[in-house]
Amino acid sequence: MASFIQLLVSGLATGAIYALIAVGFTLLWQTSQTINFAQGEFVMLPAFFILAAMNAGAPFWLACLIGIALSIVILGILFKVIIVDPMLKYGVLPLVISTIALSLFLKESAKDFYSSQAQPFPTLVPATDIHIFDAVVSTQSLAVLAVAILTVTALNILLNKTRLGRQMQATAQNPTLARILGIPVQRMVLYTFLLNAVLVAIASILVSPIYLAKFTNGETLGMAAFIAAIIGGFNQVRGAILGGVILGVLDNLSAAYISSQYRGAFPLIVLIAVILLRPQGLLGRIEERTV
Amino acid sequence: MTAVLEVSNLRKAFGGVVAVDGVSFDVNAGEILGIIGPNGSGKSTMFNCVLGQLQPSAGEVRIDGQVTTGARPCDLNRLGVSRTFQLLQVFPQLSVRDNLILAGQEHQGSMASRLFGRADAGLGEAATRMIEFFRLSHLAEEQAGSLSYGQQKLLDAAMAFMAGPRLVLLDEPAGGVNLTMLGHLRERLQAYHAEHKATFVVIEHQMEFVMALCTRVLVLAEGRIIAEGAPHDIRRNPIVIEAYLGH
Amino acid sequence: MTRLGTLAVIIAVAVAIAAPFFLKPYGIFLISTWAVLTIAAIGLNLTLGYAGQISLAQGAFVGIGAYTVALLTPLGVPFFVAFFAAGLLCFAVGWGLGYPALRVQHHYLAFVTLAFTTLVFLVLRNEEWLTNGIYGITGTARPTISGWKTSGARDFYFLCLGVLALLSLATWWMLRSPWGRAFVALRENSIRALSLGLDTRRYTLMAFAIGSSLGGLSGALYAPLVQFIEPNSFALGLSFNLLLMVIVGGSGNFFGPFVGALVAVLLPEWLRITQGYYLIIYAAAIMVMMAFCPSGLLGLVERAIRALNGRRADATTSVRAEGAGT
Repeated sequence: MASFIQLLVSGLATGAIYALIAVGFTLLWQTSQTINFAQGEFVMLPAFFILAAMNAGAPFWLACLIGIALSIVILGILFKVIIVDPMLKYGVLPLVISTIALSLFLKESAKDFYSSQAQPFPTLVPATDIHIFDAVVSTQSLAVLAVAILTVTALNILLNKTRLGRQMQATAQNPTLARILGIPVQRMVLYTFLLNAVLVAIASILVSPIYLAKFTNGETLGMAAFIAAIIGGFNQVRGAILGGVILGVLDNLSAAYISSQYRGAFPLIVLIAVILLRPQGLLGRIEERTV
Repeated sequence: MTAVLEVSNLRKAFGGVVAVDGVSFDVNAGEILGIIGPNGSGKSTMFNCVLGQLQPSAGEVRIDGQVTTGARPCDLNRLGVSRTFQLLQVFPQLSVRDNLILAGQEHQGSMASRLFGRADAGLGEAATRMIEFFRLSHLAEEQAGSLSYGQQKLLDAAMAFMAGPRLVLLDEPAGGVNLTMLGHLRERLQAYHAEHKATFVVIEHQMEFVMALCTRVLVLAEGRIIAEGAPHDIRRNPIVIEAYLGH
Repeated sequence: MTRLGTLAVIIAVAVAIAAPFFLKPYGIFLISTWAVLTIAAIGLNLTLGYAGQISLAQGAFVGIGAYTVALLTPLGVPFFVAFFAAGLLCFAVGWGLGYPALRVQHHYLAFVTLAFTTLVFLVLRNEEWLTNGIYGITGTARPTISGWKTSGARDFYFLCLGVLALLSLATWWMLRSPWGRAFVALRENSIRALSLGLDTRRYTLMAFAIGSSLGGLSGALYAPLVQFIEPNSFALGLSFNLLLMVIVGGSGNFFGPFVGALVAVLLPEWLRITQGYYLIIYAAAIMVMMAFCPSGLLGLVERAIRALNGRRADATTSVRAEGAGT
């Protein structure tokens, strides 16, 4: 039982990180039909920004801010302006291919311009263990959970309780209608890109202490984001959160109780099962196409 | 008279917006039914529900007595139902002839036989006849994308007729077509109707077109039928005139 | 095809036949690799360029084909039986993968194939009793056909070239048939195609399954070509590479895969001077290409030819006026 609680807590922590990545991914899809195949690499990269800043002498907290700022500029603004906007007129397919190429580009860039070796990354809190009901739970997991829950709550408030957030949601659900209602659609779309950049940066800070900063992180994290988004229902932000958490918990549990050789396979099997049994995901709606 | 198409209590809601609100009507064999109404009255949405492009929120659609509510468009097509689209939908990269062959090929044999059979699926002559019928002979080998708007509209109609359908639904066939071409289009539709005894349902805005072509007219406003009758009666109907005020 | 195009193809075929006589063994190995990968690229082109679906599993299908042949031939199974078995197996797997994934919009096939590739890699690596795991399988024999031994580099190249020619012909036949027209309709306007009675789901599934089986056939030749296969060769990298081949060559263009595969095989050789930065340059080039010329190299060529012809045709377009029958 004790180990189950441990796994549950660490699973929730991982799941919270997946949720952040999946939410950003879903938002991008909703507002601008951007399927960002490089989302995993987007999470991998900010850690390297932060490490580089620390190498230049900045203390950790400052490096994190620099990392988030760089993320906003490069993974938010530059991504939108240089890659997404010029591509949109050609349709979804060329854009997806571009992001596939982008994922390769970012991965190789991290490998060539920083290091191919896994880099240790500072934790948010000193790593100690707490005892809850006999279970040994690391403060790291709790810290990750706390930050993630905070972020998700803030996101929720932003999207549902502020005027800006509601405008972003309207743009996501029906851009044409939003435009008619006078919402500056293009600016809302830009904001979702910036929001995604912040979310991936936070996810990066949370996940890199655990996985170490490695140029290959993008593959697993990206896959997790896609699966979480699909489990939850491709067009739902709440679904992405739910999907991420479920995936994180299942992933951790399966690692403990199923052979470690096939550890990576479990989320993939979940994906295939969802697609077979309930393709619209847990919270999604079946969409229709009109002429 | 047998009803080719029966629509009962059709309803379609998008979230809180009700586009089609309990529409019922029958279309009898050989009729040319016109459907008119101000913009946003739900005409195209209703078409899309009948034709399988959208799932209706409630209601039933029957073709020749068979329930077809929510059936896929390709299955409906194989039952003998055909349509044209409001926004032009020819295949610009294919030639006029290839567009027409494509429009009919899925009715020739099975998927396997089409792989190993003739390249034109045996429709070469039928396509030529259709091209001549619509007087597009001098454009037969041209890419459909290079035709003028009016010519593409003709091609669109021709494609709908290639499979020899019994029921054709035309969504604003006259939209954006100039006067000369309009007369030609209407005359060709009437010729096809006379020759093949097909049943037409036509959504249109252009009053003259509807009056000249249709045998019966339905008026839709805000998702409901507000009037029905012969064209010249509808024209003078005060309810209809009021619904159109401002148009 | 235009006269210029036919001429280009004839020259290319002549070069392909003559080349091995002027190349050293490594050069012959390169062009054999080109021939084998082109087969996989043709398959992916069907899926991507004609049916408009993204498959990230083509590399995995090459792997399945390679391992099928590598495992069956030492058991005494004749090469071409194993060859067809590889193709059939990949067709079935492709159908099984595609059937559920294509019921939904949103390019789900891309994610499913991504997951599948990783799964295949895990199975190939972990099931050592079957695949020898990370140690791989060596020495897959090159077949003997009616007395003609293909174990020599040049002989095996001609076998690959021959198979490529046959499969290209079969694909060309399929594209000329009503199926080809259906694929174009599918790609250009699937809503309209549906309303014309075209079962878009079935055609898309068929394109993906055939494309996957071509990947398997490619793998069946790959094993005896490289003589050492291991799970890493067929991981995501190969799928990316094949995808880029199709894009660079010109997706949806019949000859695109040939050009794309040539670029992909030769580029690492040319970019050797960049000392391993070639992947970054390659990826950057793809992004640039997508922004300015998504129809690939052959698309560029087509545009150039149209521009040249356009200046001559401008005089004639004014003649074509409206007035069918008026």
